[in-house]
This record gives sequence, C-alpha cells and structure tokens, in this order.
Amino acid sequence: MKADDPQIHWVPEPELGLSGRMYLPIYVQGLTTTFRHLKDSLQGKAVTVSYPDEEPKIDNPLIYRGVHRLNKDEQGRIKCVACFLCATACPAHCIDIVAEKSPWPDREKYPQSFTIDELRCIYCGMCEEACPVDAIELTSYYNLTGRSREEMVFDKEKLLSVYDATKDREPMRSPQLGGTV
Amino acid sequence: MWEATIKIAILLGGVMTAAAYFVLLERRVAAWVQDRIGPNRVGIPLTNIRVWGLGQPLADGVKFILKENFTPSHVDRVLFVAAPVVIFAAALSLLAVIPFGSQLPAQLWGWKLSDRPIDLTVAPGVDAALIYVFALSSIAVYGVILGGWASNNKYSFLGGLRSSAQLVAYEIPMGLGILGAVLVAGSLNLSEIITAQAERGWLALVQPLGFVVFSIAAFAEAARLPFDLPECEQELVGGYHTEYSGMKLMLFLVAEFLHMITAAMLMVILFLGGWHFPGGLTGTSLVLDGWGGQNDFWFWLQAAVRVLVLFTKVFLVIVFFMLVRWTWPRFRFDQLMSLAWKVMLPLGLVNFVAAACLEQLSASFGYAWLRWLSAGMAWIILVGAWVAVSLVVPTESNRPRRRVQPLEVHLRRS
Repeated sequence: MKADDPQIHWVPEPELGLSGRMYLPIYVQGLTTTFRHLKDSLQGKAVTVSYPDEEPKIDNPLIYRGVHRLNKDEQGRIKCVACFLCATACPAHCIDIVAEKSPWPDREKYPQSFTIDELRCIYCGMCEEACPVDAIELTSYYNLTGRSREEMVFDKEKLLSVYDATKDREPMRSPQLGGTV
Repeated sequence: MWEATIKIAILLGGVMTAAAYFVLLERRVAAWVQDRIGPNRVGIPLTNIRVWGLGQPLADGVKFILKENFTPSHVDRVLFVAAPVVIFAAALSLLAVIPFGSQLPAQLWGWKLSDRPIDLTVAPGVDAALIYVFALSSIAVYGVILGGWASNNKYSFLGGLRSSAQLVAYEIPMGLGILGAVLVAGSLNLSEIITAQAERGWLALVQPLGFVVFSIAAFAEAARLPFDLPECEQELVGGYHTEYSGMKLMLFLVAEFLHMITAAMLMVILFLGGWHFPGGLTGTSLVLDGWGGQNDFWFWLQAAVRVLVLFTKVFLVIVFFMLVRWTWPRFRFDQLMSLAWKVMLPLGLVNFVAAACLEQLSASFGYAWLRWLSAGMAWIILVGAWVAVSLVVPTESNRPRRRVQPLEVHLRRS
C-alpha cells in the first residue's frame, strides 16, 4: 500500500490557532481540569472502594457474574436436566456432570453429580447463556475464599445451597421458564 | 563552628524528612488528581493506628534499605557506585547557601546564644551564592550522566545523554532569568536578593517574564514533567536509574526530590520574595525589628513567622510542581530543544534587556511612580514578547506526511 493510495484517508493535523500557539490558554484549561479532580477527590468523591473496610456497590446483581448456583423448581427439585450444554460451552472446562436416569416423569435425565471447579472458572457466564432451562445462574457473590483447592470445587449440594441463600435477593431471570418472581 | 554544625544537622534532618514526606504528598496528590485515595494505610508501626498514611515514608525507607543492593555484572563498578554518591552529595551541598529564614535573635530569655544574630543559612554571607548553586546543580547532572554511562545499558545511556543535552539547553535561559534578578538586587547573595525584594516589591511582579522563563527552566533542571525525559518510564524503562536497586536507587530518588525542593526554594527566594510578606507582617529589613517590641519574645516570633512564610511559599510552589506533573504531557525531545533554543532563549534575552533598561530608568530618576510604571511596562513586555514568540516559532513537527513514501511490499497472488 502506497502513501497515495485512494483508500487511505489522510486526516490533516488541525492548524493551531493563536490560543494554541500561545500555549497558555490550553495550559490553563488543563490545570483547571487537574484542580477539579483534586477538589472532587478531596471532597470524598474518589472512585476507590476500600474493599475489606467497605463493600463494593454492585449496580445490578442480576447481571453480575459471581459464584454459580443451581436453581430449583417449584417442587424444590433441581431444575437441571443434565443436557451437558453448559459443560460444552464452558471455555475453561470447569463443569463436570454425571447424568443419571431421572426419577421424575417430566424429564429424561437429571444430574447425579454436578461439580464446578470455582478456581478454574473464568466467570464468563457462558454456562448461563447455554442453559436451556435456566438451571445454572451466576449470582452476585464475589468474595469467594477457601483454604484448599478441594474446598473450591463446588458440588451439587453446595451449588443448590447457594440458590437457597440468594433466591430472595436475586430472583431467577426468566419468569416464563418457572422463575421465582 | 558549633553554630554551623547545629545548622547543618537541622537542615539535613529537616530536608531529608521533608523529601520523604514530599514523596508521600506526591503519591497522594497523584491519587487525588486521578480520582483515587492513595496510600493512607501505614500509620504508627506495630499498632493499628492509621494517621492518614503518615507512616508511609518510614515503610518506604525500610523497604529500600532491606532490598537487595544488586549490582549487575555488566556495569562499570567504580562509576556505578560513584554516580549516586555524586548526585546525592551535590544535591545536599547545594542547600548550604540557601537561606531557610532570615535571622534568629542572638539571645533567648536572657541567655546569650551567639555574639550576633544567627543567620539561617549554613554558610551565611557567601557573595557568590548563586554561582555556587549553578555549579553544584550542574555537578548533580554529572551523577545522572555517570549513572547512565556506568549502567552499560542503552536505555540508561539514552537517559544520561538526554539529561546532558537538556542541561546545556536549559542552563542558559535559567541564567538569563536569574540575571534580571541579580541586576535589580545588585548581589549574588541570596539573603540580599530577598532583602531587595522586601524593599522594592517581589521580582515575580516586577519582572514577570524573568519569572516565567526561570520557572520553566527550573522545571527542566529538576527534570520534572513535562521535562522528565532523562527518566521517562514509558520509553526508557527508568532512564538512568534502570539498573539501580536498593539504597543506590533511593539516593537517586531522594536526590531528585531534593532538586525539586531546591528549585522551589530558588523560585521563592529569587522571585517570590523569600521570607517577606507584605502588610508589615514580616518587616522589610534582614535585621529583625520585632515589630518594635522590647521583649525577646517578639523577635523570636518574627523570626518564626518569617521561616513559616518562606516554607509556606515553598510548599505551595511544590504543590504546583506536582499538579503540573498531572496536567502536562511530556515533551518530545525535539520539542524540548526547540522550546529551549527558539522560545526560552529569546524570551530570556528580552527580559534581561528590558530589566536593564527599566532598572536604569527608575534608578536614574528615582521617583516612586516610575517604579510602578516600569513594573507595568514589564508586564506589557511579557505579553508582547509572549505573543511575538508564539507567532514566530515554527510549529511543524515530524509526524508522517502524505509526501512520505513508505516501503512498498509486493504480495504474490496465489
């Protein structure tokens, strides 16, 4: 490609006016901005969150991507139908499902075991996108800690208990699929 | 001799503490300007008491001391060790002639401390004080160049080279800015320059152009943004101190802050009236008058007020240095050179000639109103020279143009 190629759109450098060449007006403008930020910060408008002392404010917990939960339906059964779509979609390969013949008549399979390695997970939300029955969702829990790697592999019971802990604060996303709102 | 020793101890302790706390202030100001909070955690050691992060300098210092003092194998060992010593020693000995107040009374509650009033300068009455300051601030740049050279690293070397070129370029406008002040005061002694300003008005008001030229050059001498090309992090990693670690790095960093403090003090002493504050608050002569009081107390109070006024001014100038850092982007090297030779040098010459003419004018007639007239003329000269220079200086840069023919690449179709 040459410099005179018609596909190149050359944007000419804007000509400096008198105020630009005098430098001072632009300088005063910049210094005003600096002072404004300094003043705002000194008035306590800094954006920093001192995390352990103060909890971060999560704007919309419904779209926050924190720890997973496995949803339950109206009868308290796990909603998951063990279709493996989430495990397939997962780019980090952190979901492990063992399917079993369902004891209930309304579906073929259910997960006999459902584990998520929370340390491998990249919290991208692909599993949530992929799930056809809205069984897996990401909650707004963000302060996830543990003392061992094994502890951070969440099994079915733990994921269901996350649902119990968060269902009041964060209703299920789609009511038409049996959401709790 | 005891007097000088005590003054040196006070100055060293005070300035080193000040440098440490200015590092903290710089970090806090940087944070505030960027809408952050900044370091506010470290307080009193071994307790949980936070005093707005005021323990941070101690933590920084301990960290620097405990870090491994690593010397890379490819360096010139002698010069590598000498460089931080040179820069630090030069930055400290610079302070010997800089007054940090006016005088202290000779006696305290009837105790005789000294035969005559104590000058608040380590080496009082040096008539070549300004020349000494110039000489030592140039030696400090030797430290930078030596560090860059001894590191045997292309980035460090570039930093050192840039520093030397920058020094040569900015010594001249700085000298021209000072010449005007020396002309008015009739002395190179810093105390006498302050006294002259106390009597006749601050030089920043009398010679605004000289003040502007000197402050810009002072920024360049202290290698602060927008003139921090010797150590620009984005291009040169760390510039001349890339290869340094531990205590040696700390010497470089502290020396940098000492330069900033010295530059601010020179700005205050040469142009902003030093310890003088108008309205009879500080008096106008170097000798304390104690506001006409009979008691020692008034004399001591006046001495303290003068020191306070001086350091308040220095503090404000340093805060200005820090705010400028977050306002202006760094110059490109060709812009730096063009500013020095095509803008600052002419402006400095104009200031010098104008100051000489106006001084001669007001000195030969000696009317009070003539002095006001010459100050007004100086401001008109500032505006005129500024506009003229900005209209004349070429603005073309070396950005890519349409005329440029880039390398042609022929792709073979498959």
